[in-house]
Amino acid sequence: MRTDSKRWGDPVLVATVAPLGIVMLLFFIIPLVMTVVLSFQTTQFYRLSWTWDLKIWTEVFSKPHYWTIMARTVAMALVCVVVCVLIAFPAAYALATRLRAYNAQIQILIIFAFLTDAVLKTFGWILVLDKSGVANWLLAHLGLGPEALNLLFTPTGTIIGMVYGLVVYPMFTIYLSLARIDRDLVLAAYDSGASRLRAFFEVTLPLARPGLYCGAVLVFVLSLGAFLEPKVLGGGTAPLASELIRQSFETRVNWPLGAALTLVLIVIGALSLALAAAVLMRGNRGRAVQ
Amino acid sequence: MKKQASDIGARAGVDRRSVLKGMGGLGLAAAGAGIFGMPKGASAAESLNYMCWEGYNAPSILDPFQKQKDVSISVDLITDSAGGFAKLAAGASKDFDLVSSDSPWIARMGPAGICRYIDDKDFAEQYAEFYPQFRAPFTPLQFEGKATGLPTRWGWVGPTVNTKFDKLETWSSYAPVFDAAYKDKICLLDWGDWPIMPLALYAGVDPYVSLDQAALDEVRKVLRAAFKNTRAIVADLAIAQKGLIDGSFRALIGGGTYATSSLRMKGHDYIQSIVPEPKNGLKQGIIWMEATGLIANGRDSKVAADFLKYIVSPEVAKQLSITEATCNLVPNAKAEALFSDAEKKALQMDYMWTAWDNSHFHTVAPNIDDMLAIWQEELAAR
Repeated sequence: MRTDSKRWGDPVLVATVAPLGIVMLLFFIIPLVMTVVLSFQTTQFYRLSWTWDLKIWTEVFSKPHYWTIMARTVAMALVCVVVCVLIAFPAAYALATRLRAYNAQIQILIIFAFLTDAVLKTFGWILVLDKSGVANWLLAHLGLGPEALNLLFTPTGTIIGMVYGLVVYPMFTIYLSLARIDRDLVLAAYDSGASRLRAFFEVTLPLARPGLYCGAVLVFVLSLGAFLEPKVLGGGTAPLASELIRQSFETRVNWPLGAALTLVLIVIGALSLALAAAVLMRGNRGRAVQ
Repeated sequence: MKKQASDIGARAGVDRRSVLKGMGGLGLAAAGAGIFGMPKGASAAESLNYMCWEGYNAPSILDPFQKQKDVSISVDLITDSAGGFAKLAAGASKDFDLVSSDSPWIARMGPAGICRYIDDKDFAEQYAEFYPQFRAPFTPLQFEGKATGLPTRWGWVGPTVNTKFDKLETWSSYAPVFDAAYKDKICLLDWGDWPIMPLALYAGVDPYVSLDQAALDEVRKVLRAAFKNTRAIVADLAIAQKGLIDGSFRALIGGGTYATSSLRMKGHDYIQSIVPEPKNGLKQGIIWMEATGLIANGRDSKVAADFLKYIVSPEVAKQLSITEATCNLVPNAKAEALFSDAEKKALQMDYMWTAWDNSHFHTVAPNIDDMLAIWQEELAAR
């Protein structure tokens, strides 16, 4: 197969790439550079002071509580990824294989739920999870006693809200992967004597991996920025990184500190993704050798 | 610094009215620009840009002034007093004419060059209508003998209690916040420094003076102990109020009358905010106040000064007192005659001077950043 190598001077290539390049420059690169610059300044009497020093970064690296919150954020994001994938995979599998007749209707319903305002959904969970809420009302009627569940204002409440908001991402990415699997490959596995379980683990699951990984990455990245759920459903007692950043910018009016913490979170996210990519590539290479 | 995220819908910084008017007059693009500092009414002779808390932007307050003075007012809602100050300090002050915010921040705006000082003599008529406690020279808004703005709304911070579940006497001290019997029944309002100050006072620390390390350590201890018993740290007023009514929260700490009056106005008169008794000679209550200032944008608008007189006038003060979201006291004594008995009861007017006498006046504490950092650290370690 012949491939044409394009030069960067090619006007068609420039015209094609330019719009995205400009958007990225204006809304990603320049704000990122400004954030970096801001992190080397200080504040005095709630006003920015252009000092160019390492005071803020010294504070970030010397105060353990910032890192406790960052670690908690990563841990919550990982839990959210696991729970989302565990829920999304069976649902996507059913959608791709068992519910084909209702596929479009179910997808529309999921999209409607997805497009509902996040604030509304999060506050809606209060009515469900509250001590006197719908969940406890149901459990009480099932004979489990009053206030059997105490999930509101707990980290579990936060996870429930995060999973509810994000599960749709892996559901669709996994579904797309599953829908593209050639049915003949699965049938060939059966013909070769594989059980349903073995065919699933040796054919379906490996072929669904791209969607699974893609969904997991989306959930992880979005979980790092979770703001409403820990504040509303978590009751603010176990704050995550986004609340720390908000508090630095808004309540403390310490914009350099907020900028530095934002950069820390971005680096943590980027490193986590790089690590995950390295592990996956190593796994893929290992399988290729086999 | 109160009301953080208390209305998440207000985060967009634009109200329905300004969007609709802007869209009608200038089209969608002009409406987008009108959100921040652009005059929106093409027909009005003059325009004012107004940064304020929710409630000050009520059409019933703004519309009569707009008609009377042939002026168009664009509103930018504040969601956080400190954030509003930072925005103006960062250069937005040139786009605004008026600001209504928490008094410590208004007081800072004069010396910071964000607000222009007012001459008390020009507002003698207004001061004469105020309760004696708010008359000129009104110290909380003064700097070197010059005043920044006028007081507009006030109330007190103390435990907010549902008397169906607890006797008021139980809360004559903040002791139940630390009592094991109240574990997971306390709600702190996540309104910046508001929940920190009462707890510091309970610990015997006056947070409004410069603090040494030993005093800050006491603040740390008291916050740590409070967090152990706290069920939730809530920024949204509706969640806090719901919990208080259904009894899942036995008391709200750090909200006071700001969290109470609107509930009382709706008939929940068993909800009350009180001020605890002084402890070891230290008053335990806090008086909060909002003020309105004239921004130093170089235009020295007379209409802006007229608006300042208008917003503190008895009739407008009464409307400003009772809004959809919250209900608060006003400094205008003449306005008191305009309240019905039910409204006076909802505002706990019979208690207001008791609260005043047993309270500190809320100002920007010298060590507030240290205390907010301690708050963050103790929450992280929880």
